Amino acid sequence: MRRMLFVIGLSVVALVLSSGLALAGEKVDEVKIGGVLSLSGMAANQGTQTKTGAIIAADEINAKGGIPALGGAKIKLFFGDSQSKPDVGASETERIIQRENVSVLFGAYQSAVTTVTTEVAERYKTPWLVTGSVADIITQRGFKYTFRPNNKAIYDAREQLDAIKGLTQETGKGPKSIGILVEGTDWGKSHATNLRKLAKDMGYEIVLDEAYSPGTMDFSAQILKIKSRKPEALVIAMYTPDHIVFTKQTYEGKLDIPFGIHSVGAGSEDPNFYKAVPVQAVEYMFVQEDFQIDITEVADWTKPIDKKFREMLGYELTSYGAQGYSAIYTIYDVLQRAGSVDKEKIREAFTKTNIVSGPALIMGWQKIAFDQDGQNLDAHGVISQNLKGKRTSIWPLANRPKGIKPVWPIPAWKDR
Amino acid sequence: MDPIILGIAVVNGVIVGGLYGAIALGLSLIFGVMRVINFAHGSFLMLGLFIPFWLWKLFGVNPYLAAVVAAPALFGIGYLIQATIIAPLFKRERAMVLEPLSVLLLTAGVGIMLDNLALMTVGPDFRGITMEFAAKALWIGTVLNINYTRLIAFLVSLAITVAMSLFLARTDLGRAIRSTAQNRDAAALCGINVPRVYNITFGLGCAILGIVGCVMIPFYLVSPAVGLAFGIRSFIVVVLGGIGSIPGSILGGLILGVVESVTAQFVTATSASIFSFVIFILVLFFRPTGLMGMKV
Repeated sequence: MRRMLFVIGLSVVALVLSSGLALAGEKVDEVKIGGVLSLSGMAANQGTQTKTGAIIAADEINAKGGIPALGGAKIKLFFGDSQSKPDVGASETERIIQRENVSVLFGAYQSAVTTVTTEVAERYKTPWLVTGSVADIITQRGFKYTFRPNNKAIYDAREQLDAIKGLTQETGKGPKSIGILVEGTDWGKSHATNLRKLAKDMGYEIVLDEAYSPGTMDFSAQILKIKSRKPEALVIAMYTPDHIVFTKQTYEGKLDIPFGIHSVGAGSEDPNFYKAVPVQAVEYMFVQEDFQIDITEVADWTKPIDKKFREMLGYELTSYGAQGYSAIYTIYDVLQRAGSVDKEKIREAFTKTNIVSGPALIMGWQKIAFDQDGQNLDAHGVISQNLKGKRTSIWPLANRPKGIKPVWPIPAWKDR
Repeated sequence: MDPIILGIAVVNGVIVGGLYGAIALGLSLIFGVMRVINFAHGSFLMLGLFIPFWLWKLFGVNPYLAAVVAAPALFGIGYLIQATIIAPLFKRERAMVLEPLSVLLLTAGVGIMLDNLALMTVGPDFRGITMEFAAKALWIGTVLNINYTRLIAFLVSLAITVAMSLFLARTDLGRAIRSTAQNRDAAALCGINVPRVYNITFGLGCAILGIVGCVMIPFYLVSPAVGLAFGIRSFIVVVLGGIGSIPGSILGGLILGVVESVTAQFVTATSASIFSFVIFILVLFFRPTGLMGMKV
């Protein structure tokens, strides 16, 4: 009996002590932030770029003395590699939450992975800041701990179709039919679903609607189908390796699409893609950019970030690098208002976010605020066209530089 | 369905099917001779793709020339793995007949080990070479175009198949391999060094992958993860064509390539793979030894 009481007493003491350690005080030495990203596999490039952007931001903040509201606490980043696979992403999320006891997580770029990792974070009541994932479902599940600053898939689709419609109105010529070719995981499929919905409302006929399995290295069959169905505009959603193969094959096969190929990003926002394909192959291609690609030309404060990025990876700041950078500064803003590393207080602070200036807006958005589903309603992208080897913003009109005229319709290969 | 489109689909299917056949050749040979189900086959192909890639990346070597390095290198790796890892299993089993499950697990383990060694050393990213003429195609009329590098890969695949058949039929070593496949005890009684034949067969099966890798790298991106998909495809080809049969391997490859290519015109490419697997199951059901296979 006495022994049992002793053991019970000891356990109670142990419990109290450990919970005391968990209850963070106002002054802490460091705040732990976890990042689960595709550092290997088919989305490795984008994941690595996001990680680099995050590291640059964290280093900047730590160099300036850490987080003032937490007594100068330094940011400590813990990264997990999802290997571009949802199940691995989920187990990495669990590992980081349990092992490192992080206060907040960000990631995971791929929609297929983020959909799953946010569920894990929700179960562990840990706030998750989404980077790069657009699948609509991520902010449509009534989750309390998921916050997305970037576009939903439906916005991406809407921007692409708005650009097509806008150019049609501007020039009087436009496509009547659309073809859709997407990669077969959550991202591609949700984009296709949204395109179908919006295209129908806008009066376009969908003559091709294809998804291909990830890892496809030969698009001969799909390109043949495109040639036989003859869509007047083609919308594609591809990661880097598949985009490289597809673009090369459209160039070899001299595929003519009167109103162009409209790529919704990922592969076409990756510098490694542009290094691997001949420059003539991407001419006139439209890209839905997640961020303002010429931001380093219009905003001087981004130049040192671009320089650091180039030092670390060897190429210019990309949308994904900017997403990582923006994520850390958004979390910084949240921590400043939370004044604590307690996850509940951080979650509270997230819901009240209202960023209208500062480094978190490197993406080119005007505001970061989250609605009751955790979605930032002010997120938007920019449509660019590849003119003479340079991606130039052409839509919305407000983002089009002076003197730039988009090429519409697209000249056939024999006329180039 | 437009007959021209159908024709082009068949041509594309034949081009890619020939390649599948060559890849599966080694698998068919290894199983035919040694009854070893080589689950690491795809991983060896991955090595066969990386060798010309690195030779190109570090020394600027043309991948087609890299075959003189890749083929012997892969022969050596295959020979070594068979001699050191798989052969001991043979020695333990009586009558040199392997329990299918144990060798399957062993080769699967080798495959996983190779994949992860590659992942550790070079990382997960997809890598490809850029060749000036890789973006050019042979045009027949105005609608049919065949990329030169893929055409070369197809022709080399046919050449490998023919060379292999001739080797097995005409040379002493080839005859030794064939007799070991027929009856290893009788072959041993005839003075054939059976363990050495096994090592050489495994080495040859992998050497083929070295050559195939060299002709694929101009149009195929390589990463440590590509092994698995090819391993699975090779199994379908081997079952379709017949285990141990060289022409069967090409036939199986062509059937798979054409079925995939033609059905992809009617349904989405992802659904088209269903047809390949349905045929796979039907063949297993009605003709388990494959279309041209020898009786096991």
